[in-house]
Amino acid sequence: MRLVSRASVLLAAFVLSSGPVRAAGDFADRAPTTQAWAALATLPDWSGVWTPDMDDQFHQARTNAPPWTPKVAAEMAAMAADEKAGKPHGIFQNCLPEGMPSWMLVSHNALEFLFTPGRVTLLGESDGSRLRRIYTDGRAHSADPDPSFHGEAIGHWEGDVLVVDTIGVMPETYIATSEAVGVPNDGDLHVVERIHLAGPDTLHDDLEITDPHVLAAPWRTTRIYYRHRGRKNEIVEGECLQGSFNEGHDAQGHAVFAPVAQDQGNVVPGLK
Amino acid sequence: MIRKSLALAGSLMMALGLAAPAAFAHHSFAMFDQTQTTAFRGTVKTFQWSNPHAVIWVVNDAKPLATPDVWTIELTSPGNLTRMGWTRHALSAGDKVNVEINPLRDGQHGGALKRITVLATGAVLTSSLIIPGKP
Repeated sequence: MRLVSRASVLLAAFVLSSGPVRAAGDFADRAPTTQAWAALATLPDWSGVWTPDMDDQFHQARTNAPPWTPKVAAEMAAMAADEKAGKPHGIFQNCLPEGMPSWMLVSHNALEFLFTPGRVTLLGESDGSRLRRIYTDGRAHSADPDPSFHGEAIGHWEGDVLVVDTIGVMPETYIATSEAVGVPNDGDLHVVERIHLAGPDTLHDDLEITDPHVLAAPWRTTRIYYRHRGRKNEIVEGECLQGSFNEGHDAQGHAVFAPVAQDQGNVVPGLK
Repeated sequence: MIRKSLALAGSLMMALGLAAPAAFAHHSFAMFDQTQTTAFRGTVKTFQWSNPHAVIWVVNDAKPLATPDVWTIELTSPGNLTRMGWTRHALSAGDKVNVEINPLRDGQHGGALKRITVLATGAVLTSSLIIPGKP
């Protein structure tokens, strides 16, 4: 690789780290430079595979419940009682992406980070679309982003902390405290995250979640992840929808997926 | 009711030598009673290494009935199982095994795997529904 001067690395590092946002178009449409690639080396090491601390999640569900509105609090209490009684609500049973913020709150599965110039990408195991693109190229939020499961995520570095601001999340996407207790955000969700190493192999995602439809106040919570290395820990393909099919053969003897009925003892959310 | 139908369909399909149903979407594990353990000796009918949850169908050898007593035993995902030391070749159809499960609360013949021992080799594999925390 061609050597680059420390000054130019520092300059590119400034581009990576400065923020929160620049005028749209400043960097977003430019081809990355050698300096921009080299500047990635100045970022903290988040390589490896990260798995969530489930015990802490369960602990937080008991001790740091979201400040639900009174109406939603009653709904969540009923769902929690059903879960405790062994009749869980299958809020993710349709295998659509958990989306934001639930992926970061309740997933049982591993994730990894990729750094490229102007972007941090999160790739997750389990459902096939578990993917977040966090733009760190200096752009501002779109005026009216198309809603998506993971929303429009704009990030910037404050030292070794990645600050991510997410809007544009579909209203149907859940704010969940478990895989059986949660509520659609109903629109206008705003999530601000501060993602940082809290130890050599420990990562914290500090989230502040604002949602005027279901939360009476911003909810601040932290998800803890632990780093793993080695081939057995690598992320593998995991298509959630695969569980909806049998591996079978058609009349010509070709290997095919055959749909099967769905039910795992979960109560499937219904429409009114 | 649907679950019961599914179990019946599964038994029927197995009796006919067909692949057993998958039907394990992304869901909560609260239907398993994690305070109880059920253990029995059986024969692996099918080991399905699939997402989002791997499944083992085991025939309970203690009940040699005209219609086999097939238990549907669920595990976590292949990715998480790999991290626990499993491979997709860990079990084969016909393996004689001892299984320990957290049973379904509704009394149907199924559960979440805790531990399985392959009698021919003595190999012991354990599983938990959630991945271990701190390494």
